[in-house]
Amino acid sequence: MSTTALRSDHHLNHDHHDHKESFISKYVFSMDHKMISKQFLITGIVMGIIGLVMSLLMRMQLAWPDEKFGILEMLLGKWAQDGKLDPNFYMGLVTIHGTIMVFYVLTAGLSGTFSNLLIPLQVGARDMASPFLNMLSYWFFFMSSVVLLISVGVETGPASSGWTVYPPLSAMEKAMPGSGLGMTLWLVAIILFIVSALLGGINYISTVLNMRTKGMNMNRMPLTIWAFFLTAVLGVLSFPVLLGAALFLVFDRSFGTSFYLSDIYLEGVGAMENIGGSPVLYQHLFWFLGHPEVYIILMPALGITSEVISTNARKPIFGYTAMVISLLAIASLSFIVWGHHMFITGMNPFLGSVFMILTLIIAVPSAVKVFNYLTTLWKGNLRFTPAMLFSIGLVSFFISGGLTGIYLGNAALDIQLHDSYFVVAHFHLVMGSSAIFGMLAGIYHWFPRMYGRMLNNTLGQFHFWITFITAYLMFFPMHFMGLAGVPRRYYMFTLLKEFDVWMDVNKMMTIAAIVGGAAQLLFLWNFFYSIFRGKKAEQNPWQSNTLEWSAPVKHIHGNWPGAIPEVYRGPYEYSRPDREDDYFPQYVPDESDSVGTGGDGYGSAPKRKSTKEELVAENVMFAAIKRVFGWS
Amino acid sequence: MKKYHLSDIAAFATKKVYSSMFLLALPLLAIAQSTTDVVEPPKEFSLANWNWEFISYCVLSLLLLLIVARAFDIGSLTEKITGKKVVNWNSTNRWVAIIFLVASVAGICYEMIYHGKYLMIGDSYSEHGETIDSMFNWTFGITFVVFAVTEGLLFYFMFKYRYRDGQKALYYFHNNKLELIWTVVPAIVLTFLVLRGFNTWSKITSEKPKDAQEIEVFAYQFGWKARYAGADNQYGQSHFTFISGKNPLGLAVQEHVDSLLSDLKKDTAILNLQIATADDSAKAWKAAFVNFNNGSNATAYPAVFKELKTKMEDAESGSYVRQLKKDLRRKNTTITRITTYRKDDKVFNNAGNDDKITTEIVLVKGKSYTFNFRARDVIHSAWFPDFRGQMNVVPGMATWFSFVPNKTTEEARSEKNNKDFEFYLYCNKICGGAHYNMKIKITVVGSEAEYNTWLATQVPFVAPPAASAPAEGDSNAKDSAVVKPIVVSIR
Repeated sequence: MSTTALRSDHHLNHDHHDHKESFISKYVFSMDHKMISKQFLITGIVMGIIGLVMSLLMRMQLAWPDEKFGILEMLLGKWAQDGKLDPNFYMGLVTIHGTIMVFYVLTAGLSGTFSNLLIPLQVGARDMASPFLNMLSYWFFFMSSVVLLISVGVETGPASSGWTVYPPLSAMEKAMPGSGLGMTLWLVAIILFIVSALLGGINYISTVLNMRTKGMNMNRMPLTIWAFFLTAVLGVLSFPVLLGAALFLVFDRSFGTSFYLSDIYLEGVGAMENIGGSPVLYQHLFWFLGHPEVYIILMPALGITSEVISTNARKPIFGYTAMVISLLAIASLSFIVWGHHMFITGMNPFLGSVFMILTLIIAVPSAVKVFNYLTTLWKGNLRFTPAMLFSIGLVSFFISGGLTGIYLGNAALDIQLHDSYFVVAHFHLVMGSSAIFGMLAGIYHWFPRMYGRMLNNTLGQFHFWITFITAYLMFFPMHFMGLAGVPRRYYMFTLLKEFDVWMDVNKMMTIAAIVGGAAQLLFLWNFFYSIFRGKKAEQNPWQSNTLEWSAPVKHIHGNWPGAIPEVYRGPYEYSRPDREDDYFPQYVPDESDSVGTGGDGYGSAPKRKSTKEELVAENVMFAAIKRVFGWS
Repeated sequence: MKKYHLSDIAAFATKKVYSSMFLLALPLLAIAQSTTDVVEPPKEFSLANWNWEFISYCVLSLLLLLIVARAFDIGSLTEKITGKKVVNWNSTNRWVAIIFLVASVAGICYEMIYHGKYLMIGDSYSEHGETIDSMFNWTFGITFVVFAVTEGLLFYFMFKYRYRDGQKALYYFHNNKLELIWTVVPAIVLTFLVLRGFNTWSKITSEKPKDAQEIEVFAYQFGWKARYAGADNQYGQSHFTFISGKNPLGLAVQEHVDSLLSDLKKDTAILNLQIATADDSAKAWKAAFVNFNNGSNATAYPAVFKELKTKMEDAESGSYVRQLKKDLRRKNTTITRITTYRKDDKVFNNAGNDDKITTEIVLVKGKSYTFNFRARDVIHSAWFPDFRGQMNVVPGMATWFSFVPNKTTEEARSEKNNKDFEFYLYCNKICGGAHYNMKIKITVVGSEAEYNTWLATQVPFVAPPAASAPAEGDSNAKDSAVVKPIVVSIR
């Protein structure tokens, strides 16, 4: 069938509407990257809602530990007898909320959706390098989601040892109820997920490397593509290590090996046979994925933000090359910093110092990115579309959450802050909220491209401000709690009188969470209503430069009806002084033009005198630096 | 440039949004419901039992939402009629951004005033903790400036550079000098922080202090125990296979280990018998199940039915025997291990007999301590927040943490103006359902005498025989004023 053979020459000569596609091959087992991206997005949204509801349950438990919620018993049965949440189930919620958010929403939902949608459209390809593997990637992800959700319903409860599932707690069935069947299913789900991530990643890499259209050099690629490409490289290199870790855990659980177990006496069982393993080995393997995973989540969001901010500021992204280099630096450094999650595991303290040094280096490229975003906004012409607002929100969270990384990456401070609420605040801001905001920015920005209709702007504005404010109200106070010594993953604090003072803060955070969660209903309504009834989209609604807006609004196989457009310049040519329009798409030919904001433009760019404002800015900076460092 | 019209919201703002507003209120209703007691419902219907305050909040917030929706409705109608934009989101957002910025600063200030005194900064109760606090202050000073400047600029730029028709953005896409500056400056600042952090970290963690008293801290699901050396100033050896009900820390004490060994042997004999008669048990359960399944028993006694059914199925599938054999194998391994160690005089040297297992940790102000951690089952983490100390407690791996408490509990109480204040050691690594309630009290006393009084009240693990010779213990004590225990687990 010709749908599988998506070679460009084939599609040049055919009218695509000739293909008769059955419902199943079009909507279910589709091999079209645009359909697969929608599948990833919808699955991601569904998982996101489940993760969100779980977080609300946890928040309600923390705010009203002594209240009885009859509705909970109705929903959860024996896990909420008399309307009070069971401590073991609370741990299950902690675990499954983390797993869903990290892997299913922010890895597959974010990267899966936008890599699939944008890589072929923005580099100018008919489809992914292997549409079939791409389809498999989605269906492995789907199976994985189903297995994970089934695991929540098993009699002994879902996996409950935290999303990091540290053995021995996760390795022994009798250690806690959740370590039984729930844990087995968790491992199966994760192994399926890894397969999905690898299939997707290989596809993204080969598409970016091999299938770019004429003129689309690596240094003319939009920053989104750079981010997706490097994300895929990270995933392909680090997920196999998690596969190893998970398989060892399966062996320890089911076949009596001792990779992670040693010297254990378990209440109700007695002394175990296992000797000679090390629980810390698991942590090394897990965090070898776990840390790159943070950037697998964050980098696509940063890429989307670069694109959205540049488009809506009507201004070239500042420092394209620096942005690419900092992405590269973040990607490569992320492989050698995993030990900062393990400063106090009893690892050799000298190793701790090495990881501390490497970790703090990663703050430099992150700082460069923030400053470049700020400079991009400076003297821009900012259009506050919802996508733009969410991108600015991302930058704000990235600053707030990123700076606390400097505390936690410092081994000496980590002694005190490790596993306190300070950590919860840190990663919910820098990884959770940031990446979710990147994902939402992407949805608002590319919704017209995905569904050919517009999302409602007003609802989007409300959605942004309510979510933004409540997210800060939820996560910012956690810094204070962490600094006051409140440990994370506690089911309730009423038995610890010393933490009573935080009760009203907990209540405030929970109310913020409920309001923020309710605001997502605005989004859901907007999203699903607009798919069917939204205003019809124009060809290029945001007056953007990149290639995807040159494809017809109505999706066709092979993306462009005729030849694939050529690319003539970098992707961020906004507000060029020599042009009347404030944008200059990549695909518009212009013989006289060789200037570009992409990497290749610099050499040939005409020398331009700095404007007055630039000179002032530079002088202020220099003066400040001279003052600080005492240079005369 | 595309114009953002509100007209498209008008179509459904009136009809559809209202209904979704009610959905928004559902979680609030759940809370409202929570305040009524579920177990004992009110006997009579009475309006006084309703939480009117909460209901009025819900109603008010609903009304507010409706008013906002109605306002937008009217706005979009006006737009349609007059053809002018009522809401310009670009200029609305600039003001919202500034309001948000101001409100956030106010919120942080309020929180600092309200809760600032509870933050553990600058009130460390250990010597090394002061260096951690100073490290924190340096980091805070630097990051706060960066935070204020960058966040401030972000919202200021939102305010200043909003979209205006006909305005063109500055075409400004790179400046090597600027980029170099904001690469090099963070690098220099971070180098400073890294070096300082490196120094602090190494001083705290690199070596055990030589003159420290060692205390064993033992973690299990879900609690802590501390072990102090007895009169001989020596810790007895311990091993996880020696753990039993009477010997929770698994000390190498002959009588306990011998009784454990005989218990295990009894268990294996029973297991062997059960395995031999497994077929008969299977038949018996099947008969019992069939017998029970007659009539309406299954629905009347679901729990019994389920138990019998599981038993029968387990027996038929062979998983019952497999489980028995697994238990037997594990118990035999333990017996072999214990028997091997039991012959070793170096292990069973009676050093542990006078060790004191306590449910509280008592320290003397100004004295150096090293805590040697042992975990029984899963990973725990020992967090002493007031002393700025934390270390994971890992089964099968020896970890430690050292510190010098520099204030007594009494002093802390008067400083904090709280007569109930106590120091605690918390578990800080997820370890099971009751993780949230796993702590042990730490008391810091002012003098050695107070400590000795307390230690004397603690019972030795094995009660000493009536006429024991104290000479040996005395000479030991003279040799080393500082306790030098061995807390090695044998392999």
